[in-house]
Amino acid sequence: MPSTDEELVARSMGGDLDSFNQLVLRWERPIYALAYRVIGREEDARDVAQETFLRAFRALKGFKGQAKFSSWLYRITLNLCRDWIRREKRTPVAQAPEGVDIIELAGETTPAESIENLVARHELGRAVGKAMSMLPEEQRTAIILKEYHGLTFQEIADLLDCPLSTVKTRLYQGLTVLRKQLREAGVESTFGK
Amino acid sequence: MCDRQEQLIGFLYNELGPADTHAFRQHLDACGECRDELSDLRATRGQIAAWTPPEPDLGFHLVRGAAAAPAPPPARVFGISPAWGLAAAAILVMAIGAAIANLEVRVGSGEGLVIRTGWGRTLASGAATQSADTGVQPVDWKQQAQQLDQRLREIEQVLARDRAGSVQNAAASGMSEEDVLQRVRDVVGRSETRQQRMLAAGLAGITRDFNAQRRIDLAAIDQGFMRLQNTSGAEARQARELVQKMNRYMSTSLQTK
Repeated sequence: MPSTDEELVARSMGGDLDSFNQLVLRWERPIYALAYRVIGREEDARDVAQETFLRAFRALKGFKGQAKFSSWLYRITLNLCRDWIRREKRTPVAQAPEGVDIIELAGETTPAESIENLVARHELGRAVGKAMSMLPEEQRTAIILKEYHGLTFQEIADLLDCPLSTVKTRLYQGLTVLRKQLREAGVESTFGK
Repeated sequence: MCDRQEQLIGFLYNELGPADTHAFRQHLDACGECRDELSDLRATRGQIAAWTPPEPDLGFHLVRGAAAAPAPPPARVFGISPAWGLAAAAILVMAIGAAIANLEVRVGSGEGLVIRTGWGRTLASGAATQSADTGVQPVDWKQQAQQLDQRLREIEQVLARDRAGSVQNAAASGMSEEDVLQRVRDVVGRSETRQQRMLAAGLAGITRDFNAQRRIDLAAIDQGFMRLQNTSGAEARQARELVQKMNRYMSTSLQTK
């Protein structure tokens, strides 16, 4: 039975590097995905993710366990993303391939999904990434944490240090702007209905 | 515009309590605007799910020491004292000299440029090649040492015979002890002189052979470079001829057109 985050954290605090590396293995993809969606650049997101784990390890002694380990990692990641955005002084850029590689996509198809549907999904993903990059940082972060990481309103409020109602407002406003932009981009809502 | 955004978002994400959920359901039955809004937001959520990040090869792994506080400037792992440095340099020079002494540069068809040092060659093959090329016999240290040893034994035997004969002659002829000792000294002195001469001759032979070997190697290096230059020159000439042929062909083709 795999160890829980709390068990691995406890062992890591005792100097067990292998346990910490298990945590890294468990969380590196979600952390990278969060960084990528917030700042929109592959290489920079990778750097942010790496730095997140490095900082987490160095600050492990200060982790008291009030929050979940994942929330603690998210907070470090978001702080690093915020630093990156300030440093770069620019809005995130949604990177997406210009063309869709049909052969590559064919490898991702499942029996339930046709290649046409898959191409449409990739096109939609690109449009969503572009629309997300135009949102204000607070709204974008709230939507990312809710939609892709499944955090509760309260967890988002704790992470962003803002009231619960603010989280809900950011989510509502962000979703409304996204819907408008996707509609303007001519994206048909064929998914999720 | 219905002012129930917070409840709408709570309902959308299924984060309302049971009582609030029930109340909002009742509101939806009565409010077409909220129903449309909810439908649109659900559709937008469905679209958002299509945005996936790339799949990088992450594989982060912390290693001991790397995650610690910034490390001080790297200390010298090991130092080389001037004496050791000089010794190492001397060994390096000797090694290079030994390698160059048997350097072979060859440009052969199909082989390309071959540069080989003496490390890879055995004495027998090297000696055979050099004897065939130049007629100079290679130095055989072992044989020379044996010859020298043999010669020394012969000298010792002659000396012993001389000494015995001298003593017997002295006794027979009634020579004084001093005369006998003087004669022995003379014999020993002559023997030592002979040995010194032989040793000097041996050393001279070794030096001569060494110089001959060096000249052979230098000549081989020169020949190798000459062959290399000739080959490069031939290739350049061929390339030039090819370009000239192409020029002629192009000009002929243009004239015919």
